[in-house]
Amino acid sequence: MAKPDHLSIVAALIELLRDTLEQPRDIAADTALIADLGLESIQVIEYLCEVEDRFDLAIDEDKLADVRTVGDLAEVVRQLLKD
Amino acid sequence: MALFDKFAAAAGTRDLLGSLPVNPTDVVIERVLSASEAIVAGRPTIMAGTNNYLGLTFEPECIDAGQRALAEAGTGTTGSRMANGSYRAHLELEAELAAFYGMPYAMVFSTGYSANLGSLVALLGPGDAVLLDSEAHASLFDGCRMSGADIFRFKHNDPDGLAKRMRRLGERARDALIVVEGLYSIRGDCAPLQEFAAVKAECGGYLFVDEAHSLGVYGERGRGLVESEGVIDQVDFVVGTFSKSLGSIGGFCVSPHDVLTLFRYASRPYIFTASPCPSVIATTRVALRHIATRPALREQVWRNAHQLYGALAELGLSLGPDVSPVIGVAFREREVALRCWQGLLDAGVYTNLILPPAAPEGGSLIRVSVTAAHSSAQIEAIASAFRDVVARHASGCAA
Repeated sequence: MAKPDHLSIVAALIELLRDTLEQPRDIAADTALIADLGLESIQVIEYLCEVEDRFDLAIDEDKLADVRTVGDLAEVVRQLLKD
Repeated sequence: MALFDKFAAAAGTRDLLGSLPVNPTDVVIERVLSASEAIVAGRPTIMAGTNNYLGLTFEPECIDAGQRALAEAGTGTTGSRMANGSYRAHLELEAELAAFYGMPYAMVFSTGYSANLGSLVALLGPGDAVLLDSEAHASLFDGCRMSGADIFRFKHNDPDGLAKRMRRLGERARDALIVVEGLYSIRGDCAPLQEFAAVKAECGGYLFVDEAHSLGVYGERGRGLVESEGVIDQVDFVVGTFSKSLGSIGGFCVSPHDVLTLFRYASRPYIFTASPCPSVIATTRVALRHIATRPALREQVWRNAHQLYGALAELGLSLGPDVSPVIGVAFREREVALRCWQGLLDAGVYTNLILPPAAPEGGSLIRVSVTAAHSSAQIEAIASAFRDVVARHASGCAA
């Protein structure tokens, strides 16, 4: 099965974020998860669990050290799917 | 960024808390009157925000033992056990903890925090996988992070989520460490330990349970949720603290694995910390005996827990799912939680205010805890104070 590309991963991540957030927000690839959306740490963890389940991945927290935006996270997901 | 610039966020938190009529982090307990009452802001206050679940901090036999140890062995050990030697009492407490749990190995640490940190950094290293509950205590997270292991979080108390992540790890799951707590200290909810043990049985790995808040409270002999859930023989490491039901300070790890004896050579938080002082060890040993032999203390704390949980539930407050000695009252609005917490303090009831990000699900929470030392009248007074503040500040707003 073909691996999803960066853009389709971004779209899926945004869809999952909309489910996580209580209020509707404009979200794009360059939206920062914490600085722009104000996610609390516990919300970030729960969101990442949703992302893992959606893509059937295990994401080690170390891999998230440089993740700031939705696009950054999509790149981590893409790399893990490639591996 | 300059060295001190990183404190901007902390300064913001300080300023926010400082702008409140009473800063919740600055409450001074001026004089302790008993295990359930103290002087706060100049008036007698019911202490409903401690972890003194069995009320043993004023147990006469514990105090006698502590005073004797002070007189006989001095105020402190002044060094670590590795460099400066173990006192006989350290070893005797370890033997008593091992016997209490029916496990062959036990190790004492100087605090509960260092018990978690020291155990996890000894057990884990780079390349290992650890699966950590999303609401696990900071000491557990810090230990995992400090170890350099790969950390995988799963949703709080979600055995299915844990199982999925274990399966995704493939062969690595066989050596993975699953880290959970027994009773969670903010909402007062309990881990589904039988289901977590079943995941371990299916996927392999090791189960590490922090019983900081459940020791003394759960189980026929007070051995915590691992006992009440019947999973002691399926757990690989039980960690606990002396600073809650045991009424002193310190921590421990017990295990059926002899690797625990090697923690002494591998755990830097253990090696490079001064050992617990003699009076602390002495009071802890007596308190442990009281936990094991006085089920009436547990019966009393549970009576109090049921009385208060029932009264708060009648008010329509949003409570944690389990009746326990820790009752988390959740509020959507931070301002409402603040006003209620302040109102309770003004009414002579001390509780704990938990604000985001420490509170789960982005809300705010008032944490109330009961002790076996509370009288039924004190429990009613706590409930009555809640009734008043909810009517005044939170009618229709709670939850």
